[in-house]
Amino acid sequence: MKPLPSFSLHRPKTLREAMELLEKLEEAKPVAGGTDLLLLLRDGACKAKHLVDLSAIGELKYIGECDGEIRIGAATTHNSVLQSSLIVEKAPALRDACACIGSVQIRNLGTIGGNLCNASPAADASSPLLTLDATVEIASHTGSRSIPLYKLFAGPKLNSLQPNEVLTEIRFPVPPEGAGMSFQKLGRRKGYTISVVNAAAYLELDGDSCRKAQVALGSVAPTPLRLRSLEERLKDQKLTEQLIDETTSACYELVSPVDDIRASAEYRRKMSCVLMKRALSEAWNRARRRTH
Amino acid sequence: MKVTFTLNGRKIEREVKSNRLLLDLLRTDLGITSVKKGCEQGECGVCTVLLDSAPVNSCLVLAQQIEGRTVTTVEGLKDEPVMKALQLAFIEDGAIQCGYCTPGMLLSAYALLKKNPKPTVEEVKTAIEGNLCRCTGYVKIIEAILDAAGRIKVERD
Repeated sequence: MKPLPSFSLHRPKTLREAMELLEKLEEAKPVAGGTDLLLLLRDGACKAKHLVDLSAIGELKYIGECDGEIRIGAATTHNSVLQSSLIVEKAPALRDACACIGSVQIRNLGTIGGNLCNASPAADASSPLLTLDATVEIASHTGSRSIPLYKLFAGPKLNSLQPNEVLTEIRFPVPPEGAGMSFQKLGRRKGYTISVVNAAAYLELDGDSCRKAQVALGSVAPTPLRLRSLEERLKDQKLTEQLIDETTSACYELVSPVDDIRASAEYRRKMSCVLMKRALSEAWNRARRRTH
Repeated sequence: MKVTFTLNGRKIEREVKSNRLLLDLLRTDLGITSVKKGCEQGECGVCTVLLDSAPVNSCLVLAQQIEGRTVTTVEGLKDEPVMKALQLAFIEDGAIQCGYCTPGMLLSAYALLKKNPKPTVEEVKTAIEGNLCRCTGYVKIIEAILDAAGRIKVERD
C-alpha cells in the first residue's frame, strides 16, 4: 500500500484557531474523523500541504435542543449521534442511518459533518437530514453563514464550501409529536456496506390526510436527492397503500443513477421505487401510531 | 512533533512525523505486533485498538492525534477478567483458526461486553461487523463471545 504523502498536521483546540489556520495556510484542508480523507490523500484524489484537525475541538461536539431546533456539532461522531437519547426519540431515521455507516470502528472516528462534507451521493446521513429540512452552519475567519443542506452538495464527492470554510453545525426543526419518519438502506450485505440505494421519508398527518411529506433518496444521482415532485403528489391527500404505490413508482423516472461495481443503474432505478415505498410505509405506520 | 500518550497503562513519549499512522507507531516503532497491518483502509479490522476504550481502526488515525489519550491493545488486557473469559471461550469453542483476526476480534468483543454484558446475537454481530475473519465463518466466534458473556455472569454470581 502506498504510504501517506507528507503534510503538516495542525491540531487547534478552538474553532477560531482552526479558521485562522485555514485562512493563513496554503493548500490546507480540514480533517475530522479522517475515515474518508486519509484514503483520498493516499490515493492522490485529494491533495493538501496542511491538514487542520478538527477532532480536538470540543466546541464542535454536541447534540442538543434549542429554540425549537435540534442542533448537532459537526465533529460529533456517528456513534455519539446514534446513542443520543434525543436523536433516538425525536429523529429515529437519523439514528438508523448513523447506525449503518461503516463499522463500529468507523463510527467511533467518523463524524456527521465529515459524512456530509465528503458529499458522497451514497452518504447515509444525508437522506434523513434532507427529509428533516436540515440547515448547515458554515464558518470562516470572516464570519458565518447558513445554507439549506441540499446546497452543500455540489456534485459527486464535491461540496460547496470555500477552502477557508468549516461546517460547524447541522440543525433541523424538532419534529412535532405525531411525525413519522423512516430510513431504509439496501447494500450488498447487511453489515459494513455502502448503500446501493437508500431512502428516507418524513410525514406529518392531519387525521387521514398527509399534511407534510418530505422524501429523499441516496446513491441514485450525482448528489443525495430530495424528491419534491413526489412530495407534492402526497401533500393534502388521503394516504392509502394505493397512493403510496402509485407515487413511489414515479421514482423510476426521477432518479439518474450510474452503473458501478455495486449495482447497475437499472437495478438502482427499480430499487429506488421499492425502498421509497418501504420508507413511506414505515413512516406512515409510525405517524399513525403516534397520532392515535 | 512529540506525542505523549498512555499505551497499556504505560506513559509513552515519541517523536512522530505528521503522516505517521497510529498503526505504524504501534506495530513498527513500539513492537506491539498484535496490531496487524491488513487492508490499510479501515475495512478489515486487524489493526483495531481501543482509543479511550472505544474500538477504532489504527490505520485511520494519525499518530499525532492520540496526544494525551489512552490506547489499549490485547497485550494490556491479558490479566483483565472480561478479556480472560473471552480468551478461554475463544480457545475452548474453537473460535480461532489462523489467528490473524483474533486480537482485533477480541478487542471488539471486549468493548462490547464492557458496555453490554448480556448482548443478543444481533448485538454481537454488529460489534464485530468491522472485523473480517476468513477462516471460521464467524459462527464459532459469535458463539464464543456469547459463551464468554455467560462465563462472566457465573463468575459474578
